[in-house]
Amino acid sequence: MLKKIECFIQPFKLDAVMDAIIEAGVEGISMSEVKGFGRQRGFLKGEVPNKLVKLLPKVKLEMVIDEEKIEEVTKTLVKLCQTGEFGAGKIFVLPVEDAIRIRTQESGISAIV
Amino acid sequence: MAVENMWEITLARLDKIMEMLSLSEGIKKYLREPRKTIEVAIPVKMDDGSIEIFKGYRVQHNTNRGPGKGGIRYHQDVNLDEVKALAMLMTWKCAVVGIPFGGAKGGVIVDPTRLSSGEIERITRRYIYEIIDNIGPEKDIPAPDVGTNSKVMAWIMDTYSMGKGYSVPGVVTGKPISLGGSQGREDATSRGCVYSILSTLKVLKIEKHTLDIVIQGFGNVGSNAAKILFDLGHKIIAISDVTGGLINKKGINPYKLGEYISKGEMLSGYPEADHIEGSKIFEIECDVLVPAALENQITGSNAAKIKAKIIAEGANGPTTPDADKILNENKIFIIPDILCNAGGVTVSYFEWVQGNLAYFWGKREVNLKLRDIMEKAFYDVYDCCVVKKIDMRTAASILGVSRVAEAVVLRGIYP
Repeated sequence: MLKKIECFIQPFKLDAVMDAIIEAGVEGISMSEVKGFGRQRGFLKGEVPNKLVKLLPKVKLEMVIDEEKIEEVTKTLVKLCQTGEFGAGKIFVLPVEDAIRIRTQESGISAIV
Repeated sequence: MAVENMWEITLARLDKIMEMLSLSEGIKKYLREPRKTIEVAIPVKMDDGSIEIFKGYRVQHNTNRGPGKGGIRYHQDVNLDEVKALAMLMTWKCAVVGIPFGGAKGGVIVDPTRLSSGEIERITRRYIYEIIDNIGPEKDIPAPDVGTNSKVMAWIMDTYSMGKGYSVPGVVTGKPISLGGSQGREDATSRGCVYSILSTLKVLKIEKHTLDIVIQGFGNVGSNAAKILFDLGHKIIAISDVTGGLINKKGINPYKLGEYISKGEMLSGYPEADHIEGSKIFEIECDVLVPAALENQITGSNAAKIKAKIIAEGANGPTTPDADKILNENKIFIIPDILCNAGGVTVSYFEWVQGNLAYFWGKREVNLKLRDIMEKAFYDVYDCCVVKKIDMRTAASILGVSRVAEAVVLRGIYP
């Protein structure tokens, strides 16, 4: 069964995270630079809010992997991205109905390995 | 069709597998014996007013992993030994694909082609009535096999339901869709077979856009496999059935061929291909050979001539043990029957689940779920084959038998 991981992390963690999840067996990742906020509405500890929200830069990683690898990959992400502070990020795990490799038309698990 | 001593052959194969698994003597004895064997006499009033007695069997080989599951065969060559062997093979097949069923099989000694529809209906109803206490959604779930079809399954469901006083769709699978049959049941075996072929390409690292496919048999399994592979862009270069064989290196369109045959024509008369002898079909150079006809087609005498890279056994038992040896020596990759054609029993399982839930899935959902199960089973068998350095057939049997043996050990012996 295929699953998709969408995670939002601190930009300075990117390099370490990429290396580690490739090690964990992930074959492909898409990355985008995004801005967003969470429960803190983007304000850092001690900061006095002068508006409703503040958008902070984050990196969004997307990858589709076999469900058997989810545990290992999410553990790796958590271990590497934890800062002990607010704003460390979030991981979402989504079900994927199907995948198709365009070049070969392979589908399902074959499309991602 | 009946193989001489099929039961003995099946037992001998099982003994070899159990030896490799180093099971205890007690468990070995347990797995060799069918749990329940039922033999019934089926008296039927024939159309001409006479009374005939038919003999029917139902064998439940093992029910440790769940209710028995297996087809009912109407054929003049049915005998108890064959039914016992087929029931045992069902046990391993369900275990290999990891669906929660045991193995069973049934049969009636009758040539259905010589009887009227009414006579077959009366045989079916009386046969089911005789075994009614031994079947049921939680005990043993029949399905179609040689000589039986969805119409017969509908009669079985009706007979059982009348006996119980309410509708029980989960008692049988392979029903018409309007009575609780599953979407995608018709081509499930072929689809499962194709998923196994695609997984094989992956592990063998064959990256070829257009595979050359040869299919023996143009019945349900063969014709649907041809259509699915054709839709994926592969080339069906040869097809055969009982009437003879066709070859066309440019590819045969299975849809057109299907239409041609449905007009009552013989496959061998199809104009858009050259004709060859049916038995020559195995000698054609190709990427994938799909035997989808009867048992014992690839034998010691023709195995050496096979030039395929992959053999996907759509039929049950198409390869004899001596042929197996030759194919393995020639490094031909075999996807064994208990894995390759398990798509049928898998969608039967889906039909049973849907019937019990009274909630039905769409075709796409069925096919995706089937693919998940088939791929998982394939990689389980392939991993076992690589780790233990054995051939795929032995790996599949080892996996099936060990899963059942584990269930037996865990449940223990009652009382």
